[in-house]
Amino acid sequence: MSMVIVWALSWWYGAGWKSVLLGLKERLALSYDYFSIGLLASTLFAPFRQISAGRVQGPIGIQIRAAVDKLISRIIGAIVRLILIFVGAVWLFVQSLIGVLVLVAWAFLPILPVIGFIVMLSGWVPTWR
Amino acid sequence: MEVKFDYKSPRAAKSRLGRHISGLNEWLLILVAVLLLVAGACLVLVAVPTGWLLMSLAAWPFMAVQWYRGELRDVPAEQSENQVDAVLESSVLARLPKQPSPVDIARAVMQSRHGLFFAVRFGITPNFLEQISSPEQSDATPVWQTAMVLRDKDSDELTAGMLVYALVKQFPEHDALLAHNHLELTDIKNGIDWQNHLAALVRTHSRKLRTGGIGRDWSFGYTPLLTRFGQNISQQLAGGGLLNVDLDSHTEALDQLIDTFSNDGRQNAVLVGTMGVGKTTIVHAFAERLLDASSKLPGNLKFRQVIMLDSASLISAAPGRGELEELIMRIFGEAYAAKNIILCLDDAQLFFEEGVGSVDLGNVLVPIIEAGRLRLILTMDEQRFLQIGQRNAPLVNALNRINIQPASKEDTIRVMQDQLLHTEFRRKVTYTYQSLSEAYRLSERYIHDLAMPGRALKLLESAASYSENGLVTMNSVQNAIEQTMGVKVANASEGDEREKLLNLEALIHERMINQTRAVGVVSDALRRARAGVRNQDRPIGTFLFLGPTGVGKTELAKALADVYFGGEDRIIRLDMNEYVRSEDVSRLIADGADDPASLTAQAMKQPFSVVLLDEIEKAHPSVLTTLLQMLDEGILRDVKNREVSFRDAIVIATSNAGANRIREYIERGYQLEQFEEKFVDELINSNEFRPEFLNRFDEIVVFRPLEKPELLQVVDLMIAGVNKTLALQKITVEVESGAKELLVEKGYDPRLGARPMRRVIQRVVENNVAKAILAGVAQAGSTITISASQVEEAMSKAEQVSAIEKESGYDSSDAAKR
Repeated sequence: MSMVIVWALSWWYGAGWKSVLLGLKERLALSYDYFSIGLLASTLFAPFRQISAGRVQGPIGIQIRAAVDKLISRIIGAIVRLILIFVGAVWLFVQSLIGVLVLVAWAFLPILPVIGFIVMLSGWVPTWR
Repeated sequence: MEVKFDYKSPRAAKSRLGRHISGLNEWLLILVAVLLLVAGACLVLVAVPTGWLLMSLAAWPFMAVQWYRGELRDVPAEQSENQVDAVLESSVLARLPKQPSPVDIARAVMQSRHGLFFAVRFGITPNFLEQISSPEQSDATPVWQTAMVLRDKDSDELTAGMLVYALVKQFPEHDALLAHNHLELTDIKNGIDWQNHLAALVRTHSRKLRTGGIGRDWSFGYTPLLTRFGQNISQQLAGGGLLNVDLDSHTEALDQLIDTFSNDGRQNAVLVGTMGVGKTTIVHAFAERLLDASSKLPGNLKFRQVIMLDSASLISAAPGRGELEELIMRIFGEAYAAKNIILCLDDAQLFFEEGVGSVDLGNVLVPIIEAGRLRLILTMDEQRFLQIGQRNAPLVNALNRINIQPASKEDTIRVMQDQLLHTEFRRKVTYTYQSLSEAYRLSERYIHDLAMPGRALKLLESAASYSENGLVTMNSVQNAIEQTMGVKVANASEGDEREKLLNLEALIHERMINQTRAVGVVSDALRRARAGVRNQDRPIGTFLFLGPTGVGKTELAKALADVYFGGEDRIIRLDMNEYVRSEDVSRLIADGADDPASLTAQAMKQPFSVVLLDEIEKAHPSVLTTLLQMLDEGILRDVKNREVSFRDAIVIATSNAGANRIREYIERGYQLEQFEEKFVDELINSNEFRPEFLNRFDEIVVFRPLEKPELLQVVDLMIAGVNKTLALQKITVEVESGAKELLVEKGYDPRLGARPMRRVIQRVVENNVAKAILAGVAQAGSTITISASQVEEAMSKAEQVSAIEKESGYDSSDAAKR
């Protein structure tokens, strides 16, 4: 029996802990991909949906107008992208925080019954008044 | 190599522990954890501090479940060269006793999930494996040794499949035993690869795809027209990937595609290959690779979308003149402006030729393709590509050609192994390993309109309808091809058929008189074929029947088609006097769409039949040369260069060359056996047949002229034929024996054999019966008897008519011939 406990604990603080860490890493990578953070950052100032993109030939007036249109498309694109990058970043932060908490809790789980026993002995219970 | 098995090793103990927890116990642990949590929380809520202890105790069953799922369920293999317990698959390891014998190993293997794979897919059942395994503990060492050799690396797991292989190999008569299941030892090795590959597929597809996310296409344009007139296969794939194998031929084509589109040259590629070769699958695999964030690709290709244009919806949306060209230009403009689109024209010939459902857009497309800025993939049949190239050379020159070759047998089997997962799920069936090899073998032989692997997949899919208790076996595949093609591919096993084969001569003689040698050789050939002992790469039998007219050569072919092949319509008959010019070769091998009566078209439609080449001596030498391959290998290529199989046909050529010589020999008192060989030599010497042509036949059979007693039997057969016709009216005809002899006398012509007999019977018997019916003399249930005097009277009338006709210059026999 004692060997079983040793094997269980060595897995818990070894491969088990590592798998939780890898799981967190995979989830973060999926979220990073879902919010297209890298793609959006690298194309931050690209015309949004190619609207008003491309070369325009003609008199200077038309060219100036096309350049302004393109600039507006780029600005709109940058705003929309920044919003999504921000939402994604917040989500990644929350996910990382939860992940770190799980990793820390993982370390204390084997001794949780001991903690529970001590709390029981202390006789403390929450009061609802 | 010395191998050891340690029952007490930590890995073995963990495996056994994992086995104890699996199933119900895992759920029990979860239940305990939940109950402790709930009970503890309730106690804390009512201010009982013991609740804290209960709640915290839930951590231990929770940990046990995590440990089980993370390690114990499938204890990872360790690195070892000779320690079995360190590398053995844990589900097998958990079931082994302290000192296992081969029987114990077999039992443990067959209780594991991977062992069951071999039971279901290969028919190597637990009973089978236990029966061939030794109960002696000392015999376990060679089993371990054989299995350990199969591992690739030291760290690789020793799987249940490897143990199945080792256990079977240890059995001294394993070859014979496996043959019973239509298997060889290498097949079990292939099974191990198949199992590993399936496990890898499941691992890959259980991983979530990273496809760029919600902002992926924000830098690219909107594509409303493409959404309407095309299929975005990238989007379809994002929902769930392909179950595709990395075939060498496909990987090469994929790399070429990536290379083409990542360089600065013309951004187009045409995939050229026969239908069924996997062109569309390659486009799908290409789209999947572009969509995978983890794949190593140039930045300008990643997340590009492949959209397949639908020619039918394009044509229906723009029916007017010039409308389609305009629509296409708008679509192409949209694709170019969007900057992330790779257009695919599947079956691209539809865009380059006029016809039903197709339209020639060559003039519009060529400048765009030549400019090379729009990314475009075309798929095309090789023949069509060449045809279009003849008409539109600039188009072909502007395209980057990628040839797709048909898959080899190994590759086709691998494709089937992957694709059958879809079919199994959809049709709720399981395929055996043997069914895959059989699907390859039979589809190669009988399905001509597709290339591999498409043709084998087609057959495999249709075999699902013939599954037995949800299992698709070799028999299911054979049934599928037998039902769809009308051939017999399985060995004769049913009582009826066996009986028929054993009594084939008697059955044929029910409608054929004498010619026992000819009937015998044909019957033997069929028996060999249906017992599975013939050469599979030749026709069932090839025979040359020589003899005068009217001795039963053609009749034997007909009788065979009727008795065994399922009806006289099972005969493919060619009068070779219609093939007297060298140009007639093209008619012989014409495409079924142009000439359904060509030899190849008929054989393609009806491969299980009698091929009768009447009056072969009249055919042009070029025609005979063309037929050589059919006689030799059972294969003939049609004008489209498709292989048409004659390997399920009996080929009978008839000739009356040298008929006079045969008569001379018989008149001089020779028996057939005495002059047969000499006669064939004479035919060669007189240049009537070339020796290489005669050599191609399995048997050359000389038919002898019929004698009077035999002709009497022929009369009986013909009268029986008349009675068969009259059976509906319940009238019977009887001919007196004197009348029969008279019929023979009048109907026999030494030059024409028994052939005039039919005309005589028509004149005498049928005419008399017709008159009796019309006069009301013969009614249902009555019997009409034909006497010698009636024959005499009918024949004298006929002779008078004939004399008058001769006087007036009209010959009735000419009319009959006409």
